[in-house]
Amino acid sequence: MSAVLQSLSIELADAVESAGRAVVAIHARRRIPASGVHWRPGVLVATHHTINREENITVTLPDGTTAPASLAGRDPSTDLAVLKLPGQSLPTASLRSDRPPTVGELVIALGRPGPSVTASWGVVSRVDGPWRTWQGAEIDSLLRLDVAIYDGFSGGPLIDAGGRVLGVNTSGLARGVPVTIPVATVERVVTELLERGTIRRAYLGIGTQPVRVPESLARKLELESDVGLLIVSLESGGPADRDGLLLGDVLLELDGAGVSDPRDVLAKLGGDRVGKPLTARVIRGGEVKALQLTPGERPTSRAA
Amino acid sequence: MTASVTPGLAQEVAAAVDQLRRVTVQVRMRGAAMGAGVLWEGGLVITNAHVVRGDQATIELSDGTVGRGRIVARDLKRDLAALEVEPSPALEPAVVRDSPPLRVGELVIAIGHPGGVVGAATLGIVHVVESEREGRAPRWIRADVRLAPGFSGGPLADATGRLVGVNTMIHGGLALAVPARAVEAWVRRAHAAVTP
Repeated sequence: MSAVLQSLSIELADAVESAGRAVVAIHARRRIPASGVHWRPGVLVATHHTINREENITVTLPDGTTAPASLAGRDPSTDLAVLKLPGQSLPTASLRSDRPPTVGELVIALGRPGPSVTASWGVVSRVDGPWRTWQGAEIDSLLRLDVAIYDGFSGGPLIDAGGRVLGVNTSGLARGVPVTIPVATVERVVTELLERGTIRRAYLGIGTQPVRVPESLARKLELESDVGLLIVSLESGGPADRDGLLLGDVLLELDGAGVSDPRDVLAKLGGDRVGKPLTARVIRGGEVKALQLTPGERPTSRAA
Repeated sequence: MTASVTPGLAQEVAAAVDQLRRVTVQVRMRGAAMGAGVLWEGGLVITNAHVVRGDQATIELSDGTVGRGRIVARDLKRDLAALEVEPSPALEPAVVRDSPPLRVGELVIAIGHPGGVVGAATLGIVHVVESEREGRAPRWIRADVRLAPGFSGGPLADATGRLVGVNTMIHGGLALAVPARAVEAWVRRAHAAVTP
């Protein structure tokens, strides 16, 4: 009688059951444990903000047993952490990387805030384009969810109706709003954290603010855009300071592209830019001046 | 190309809601907010103890029949109450799902009367199935389904319309329902004790 409804119900439960076999509880804070996903053999992905200690981390496996895990690295800017779980024969998550999630797609958020797996459902409410967190991390396409947040949400996987993983959920990245870090970003961060323990990000040690260049000056200097970035702070001894940038300079171009927003600067500062000079054009004393700026490696938790 | 299932699905949800509404009653107290109840075997209505404060309540069935409900069993700890309805309801009672056990992710439907809206429906999934300890059934069914005051005492059913629980409270956004099988056992015990 209710053939489709019943099939849907069974298929959702099947999806939870199969994907739940790769979801663990992570005990790295007081009170309620957080969730984690068995991403690659012996490698767990969890959220940075739910890991409050770096030693004595234990994991509750789907069969109810407890095992020790060690922290391999963490990246506050994407709110991801990677742990190693040696010697367990746990299935790994089945990742969906062939087809990006779409707005309106039915999804389930899994968690394990204790021995039992939990599920809540909803839809993808928004798929953002490439997105940069305020700390400069690049996220390929953050998913915003219409899903209720319960205990164990963070660190759990978002799965599709077929049980395939679309990303890792967190409530700690967008002011308590439920979001999912997509598979591509997680893969990138996992690889780098396993190799280096941290995520390399280039930085210049500057603070900027967009300003309008006076029309007469813009005309005189034959500028293409009349907006630039005023250097309002300069880290003493930082990369830009060493390379001769001064407070009050107005940054017009970086690496051949015009800059009119602090995010334009961040966009030029991927991890692979450390130590590689960038050409910059600035207005100083009413004249345009070219400079070479060589980004350094950003110390953790610091802006551009 | 795969056949479209959406129209069928929409119809089936509507049919399941319709079926479930038939076993959902209104429990009214003079001057108090309205709660819901489930039509049970033997001319009984099951609701939450917190819905019925005195010894009796007015029961309105889904067909519009109004009867008088008299408390025959009450358990404040389980938050359950059983009422005998006069005249005896002519409608079929709810069918309890005995097996198979509930699974996480299964669809569930809740019916209630939030803010005086009679027979409102919400659809959700089972949030967690607590592991049974020493053969004892779990105390609550926790569902990711949006309830509001007025759903208390009403049914939580599976995709086939069979009763899986009696909605009792909202905790941390989750719906907590007394498992239907626990209600069944309670009625058998408690009602037998007061019936001569």
